[in-house]
Amino acid sequence: MEARTRAIMHTTRRGWRGLATMLAAVAVALAPTAGASAETHKKESDTLVIARGQSIDSLNPYFARNVIDFETLELSYETLVRLSAKDYSYVPGLATKWETSADGRAWTFTIRKNSKWSDGKPVTAHDAAFTYQLLIDNEDIHTRHVDFASKLESVEATDDHTLVITTKEPTPLVPSRYLPIIPKHIWEKVDNPAEHENNDPPLVGSGPYQMVEHVTEQFIRFKANKNYWDGKPEFDELVFRYYSSPDAEVAALESGEVDVVGYGSLTPAQFKSLKGQDGITANAAQNRRFVSLVLNPGARTKDGKRFGDGHPALRDVKVRQALHTAIDKSQLVDRVLDGYGDPGVGPVPKIFETLHWDGGDELITFNLEAANKILDDAGYERGKDGIRTMPNGSKPLKFRLYAHSDNPAYASIAKFLEGWWKDLGIEVQTESIEQGPLNDKNYLGEYDISFSGWGISPDPDFLAMHTCAALPGVTDGTERAHETFYCNPDYDKLQDQQTQETDEAERAKLIKEQQRILYRDSPQIYLYYQNQLEAYNSAKIESMAVQPADGGLITGQSNFLWAYHSARPVGSGADSEGGGSGALIAGIVVALLAAGAVGFYVMRRRTAGERE
Amino acid sequence: MASDPSLLAGPSPDGPASGGLSGEKTAGGSGFGRYLRGRLTGSVASLVLVYLSSFFIFRVLGGDPLQAIAKDRRMTPEERAALREQLGLDQPLLAQFGKYTADVFSGNFGTSYQYRRPVMELVLERLSATVLLTGTALVLSVAVGLWVGARAGWRHGSRLDRAHVGVSLTLWSAPTFWLGMIVIMIFARQFGLFPVGGMVSHNVGPGLLAETLDVAHHLVLPAITMTAVIYAQYVLVMRSSILDEIGHDYLTTARAKGLRDDLVRRRHAIPNALLPTVTLVFLQLGGVISGAIVTETIFSWPGLGRMVFESIGFRDFPVLQTTFVLFSAAVIVANMCADIAYWFLDPRVRKA
Repeated sequence: MEARTRAIMHTTRRGWRGLATMLAAVAVALAPTAGASAETHKKESDTLVIARGQSIDSLNPYFARNVIDFETLELSYETLVRLSAKDYSYVPGLATKWETSADGRAWTFTIRKNSKWSDGKPVTAHDAAFTYQLLIDNEDIHTRHVDFASKLESVEATDDHTLVITTKEPTPLVPSRYLPIIPKHIWEKVDNPAEHENNDPPLVGSGPYQMVEHVTEQFIRFKANKNYWDGKPEFDELVFRYYSSPDAEVAALESGEVDVVGYGSLTPAQFKSLKGQDGITANAAQNRRFVSLVLNPGARTKDGKRFGDGHPALRDVKVRQALHTAIDKSQLVDRVLDGYGDPGVGPVPKIFETLHWDGGDELITFNLEAANKILDDAGYERGKDGIRTMPNGSKPLKFRLYAHSDNPAYASIAKFLEGWWKDLGIEVQTESIEQGPLNDKNYLGEYDISFSGWGISPDPDFLAMHTCAALPGVTDGTERAHETFYCNPDYDKLQDQQTQETDEAERAKLIKEQQRILYRDSPQIYLYYQNQLEAYNSAKIESMAVQPADGGLITGQSNFLWAYHSARPVGSGADSEGGGSGALIAGIVVALLAAGAVGFYVMRRRTAGERE
Repeated sequence: MASDPSLLAGPSPDGPASGGLSGEKTAGGSGFGRYLRGRLTGSVASLVLVYLSSFFIFRVLGGDPLQAIAKDRRMTPEERAALREQLGLDQPLLAQFGKYTADVFSGNFGTSYQYRRPVMELVLERLSATVLLTGTALVLSVAVGLWVGARAGWRHGSRLDRAHVGVSLTLWSAPTFWLGMIVIMIFARQFGLFPVGGMVSHNVGPGLLAETLDVAHHLVLPAITMTAVIYAQYVLVMRSSILDEIGHDYLTTARAKGLRDDLVRRRHAIPNALLPTVTLVFLQLGGVISGAIVTETIFSWPGLGRMVFESIGFRDFPVLQTTFVLFSAAVIVANMCADIAYWFLDPRVRKA
């Protein structure tokens, strides 16, 4: 008995020695690094670090795809006209002023004289002309931008500071089109600009920050452009740091590793946990996104050939309106978004105040009785099981509802819809499908109702997806320019008018009317505009401009990154000390661990003989 | 024994004799030559099957790469058609397969839809990150696992044994993402000892030493998390092998010679007990390059596993095909190496 206890104690002590050895090893690996980070932390107060979850695809301005591509371009290059931080209205960029000719076809831009490329050469109208000319001359670039490029007739720099763009027909797209002006003296040496990825720093640009270093899926580092004509940014450096999990981003904000989080939006739970913390400002901003349902109004080709297997009842506008009336959008906002959002109306979200249609007195309010009455009047009678059937009694109103499996919000929304629509005598079967196959089903017309979410740009070209011209020519689901097989000549007429209208107020009226028609016909029901939930380190950042000024966002600004250009550091001193003390603590802990472990090991060694 | 949940699934570690088709029937040749030929034929046959399935398996998933490429942007029909042609997606499936085969044999693995760069370039770029992380974790978990397992087995039934087995099995059962988050919360967020994620800092001065230390600093948390999750398998295998040896006469003989308990274990029991762990290590070696998707994701580690994960959502066929072949080949080759090593390590195989 005695012997056994001793044996156990012996082994236990051995275990401890092993642990101590391990700790010592870790400590040795760690100690110098803790010292190194204490040194670098001091400089951190001049660097703005932003958490990103995307990697760069291409910095070719004509082929950029990811949000991070666009933001890198927006920092590095400039556009002729910028969209203001206040309300997305046009403000001078590289052009100080611009005019349209009487027929609305010729646009004359005056290029500013005080902008320079980062290699010291001045920016001129020739650079701008070169940039626009590629849209006409280069076949690949033309195809990629065909909706805009096909409208261009000619581009000309009449002198160093005057650019004239002539279009085949009047179009409002000339000032609003996002096209970063690239340096002619660099790009004219490129064999085929369509194939130039432009990913290798340093880029030669004229924007507020210049990309100087890029480590794939780790970080992108920018240096402030000291000569930027609209004022040098106050942070010397800006870093996009890559995180592949949103929870890690939040932890990184809390530990001081990054200063801004929220691209792709935080979850309400994450947002609320950050909200009360010292030194962190949480911002629930209006967003450019909507979540919607698309109802299959009868899949068809341009020639009117029917295909797919959509439920025939959904071809009836009355049924779609009844479904629309039986959705409590406010409750969805409260329960699914924790209140961080607004009920949806049309496809243009509330954030674009001048183009957003608010429903006026045609706003549909949640009313199960009224919804039931619509269906009663239209002849959809309830069967014995309480489920309505088609007026000719042929088919019960049982709809398939497809939700993207990667979106938990859709699953909760579906539960609400099932409940409300059950009261209408409509049965809904929700199916959760992976995004790729779900899209396949949508474009094959093999769905009844399906979720759909989009981010809308300040120029709402999304509206073109509901025109007859967007319908597919084939039935194999490969032509995907449309949203849900909607086709209405009245709507198309408005689309034609607004894409040629150069008067902004007049155009807004037409766009609102389009939204009204979509709302009334309900091929797509806009459920809500979710907030962009974001947060930043207010111990380091004094202020940043949001877009728009009223409840606007920091992450995901359009056309120019006002937030980072305007970001002001809190008076230096206090924060750098904080960073230093964190590293100091780390260093002390490590040193103690190391000393303890080494001491323990040495002691064990010395007494080893006796113990054996 | 389960295989590591965070590694891409390899074949189940059911011993060395499982390799491929029955090469044993091939007549002629010396013992080892015949054995080797059998293993090689099996491996080559597996590789060919992997290669064939790599093309079709991802296309069965459905989904259109163009959808992912377009993101939120509206694409005109002209643009769609041009892109489809550019990616070769307008061709019939068999024609695409023909082109893929021709390309592969000329050493061209295609261009990623997502990153628009040659796949091989992308793979090589991420390979080192993955090997660094999973390799470190493998070495650590083998070392810790065998050390703990040998001691636990030697004193089986003791409190120490129960504690070790309990702890390792608890960690083994813990979801990696959960454990990873806890580790981040404590060591990165609360104490600020380590970075939350990534492999390099944006603000480290040039110099090999500074850069190496920076990477080491970033490596600590993910490597420890991964080790914690996977070392249990080595503990259990080692423990049971030691248990198999413990009653043998040769140990009694060793003790009778007057050797210390420690030395009996180290010099006599452990070498004999090591054999089964060789299989396990080799199998895991094959998994090293496929990485650890979950660990890489939590710690924003720029490795292969995560690239594959993102490519699935994107339907990035060239990347998926290539990595699928690569990962499978690694496992097949590792298995083959295990088989060959066994020939030399275990006399019983030679007699089979």
